[in-house]
Amino acid sequence: MEFRDYYQVLGVERTATADQIKSAWRRLARKYHPDVSKEPDAEKRFKDMQEAYEVLRDPEKRAAYDQLGSQWKSGEQFRPPPDWGNGFEFGGGRGGRGGPGGGRRRRAEEPANGTSQDGDFSDFFGSLFGGGSPFAQHRPRGGRDHHARIDIDLAAAFRGTTTLLELKRPELKPDGTLEVRTHTVRVTIPAGVTEGQLIRLAGQGEGAPEGGSAGDLYLETHILPDPLYQLDGRDVTLTLPVAPWEAALGASVTVPTLGGPVDMRIAPGAESGQKLRLRGRGLPGQPPGDQYVQLKIVLPPASTPEAKSLYEQMRSSLDFDPRAQLKGTHT
Amino acid sequence: MSRTPPMLTAEVLTESHWIAVTQLCELCRLDLAAVEELAELGVVSPRQGRAADWQFPATVLPRLRIVSRLMRDLGVNVSGAVLALELLESQRALERRLRALEGLLAAER
Repeated sequence: MEFRDYYQVLGVERTATADQIKSAWRRLARKYHPDVSKEPDAEKRFKDMQEAYEVLRDPEKRAAYDQLGSQWKSGEQFRPPPDWGNGFEFGGGRGGRGGPGGGRRRRAEEPANGTSQDGDFSDFFGSLFGGGSPFAQHRPRGGRDHHARIDIDLAAAFRGTTTLLELKRPELKPDGTLEVRTHTVRVTIPAGVTEGQLIRLAGQGEGAPEGGSAGDLYLETHILPDPLYQLDGRDVTLTLPVAPWEAALGASVTVPTLGGPVDMRIAPGAESGQKLRLRGRGLPGQPPGDQYVQLKIVLPPASTPEAKSLYEQMRSSLDFDPRAQLKGTHT
Repeated sequence: MSRTPPMLTAEVLTESHWIAVTQLCELCRLDLAAVEELAELGVVSPRQGRAADWQFPATVLPRLRIVSRLMRDLGVNVSGAVLALELLESQRALERRLRALEGLLAAER
């Protein structure tokens, strides 16, 4: 696994005081919070910061981390020392949040859980401070629930999908050292999930070491932006280009929908920006969403003699003044 | 040698799922007092009765989880987090409208 320089992540010196660390965290959290931030890599940055702060805010974890020495560089290959955690007393009531172990995001190198959920942190963190390490909190009862995020594209949200999910679990090896192991499971996501919904995977959260029942894993859905459709709840909006004569005279046009193309009638006299509704053609659900079709009148270019001549004909035979409404207002 | 990974049963929490306030608190990592304050602010509308007996449709979860994350990570209180949530929602709605309008203006390829 790769070493992580937590001081670098928070942009503080190794000698920084607890207050300086806290203020660096607050400043960065405000900037990179994934619910608020517009920074492109906000999610990853926030998670890295959160992991760094988790260690540096806690005097015991910070002292242990500092003992690794300052010679390590970010990204260097690293193995925890065999005597890791020796010499520390582990009292109750520390502010820590226990081990890693949530899901991993599909199609991403970064662990899932982009936001401030349970500590699904790096392998580096997991091996030093995670469940099973001397720093893990003792949990006598049932296992905890874990939370992770899952990215789903709109087409998959519409028809449902089966996805592979990598789950990380810290496991104690026979020699007493800790290993974060990954196992892959298949999950069928039913049709009609929307943004921010929770999907429960029973019993896939943290294991309960002493006979209690295991926690659940919750996946929070995130629907990826689609090039064609704008999603709002279960409704989708599509912009449909139409020719001027289709708008003026009315037409029957073929419109793409999530479920495949359908025919739609445009009434004569339609205008650019006008919205038509295809009821029930959004994401499935109770009730299903609708698809809105926003018309966009597209002009044919006057690029051939024929096209030019048609435009000239319109100019001479139509009594049309596009600026009629401006007359007499400011002249 | 690759084996087919085991299939898990996924259960989506939709509007047909009603969850008890204790479970809501766990899922959103909020305490009961915060949920009561959210009810007072109209963010959730529990049915009558004691707060400990409240039930909510699972559709309230996404918003409450954002509120909770903002409170926890940015150190704002319930009112501040709700204010931020509502501003974020209105910003997203405006961005959706803006994108739709830009789609009308953009030249065809």
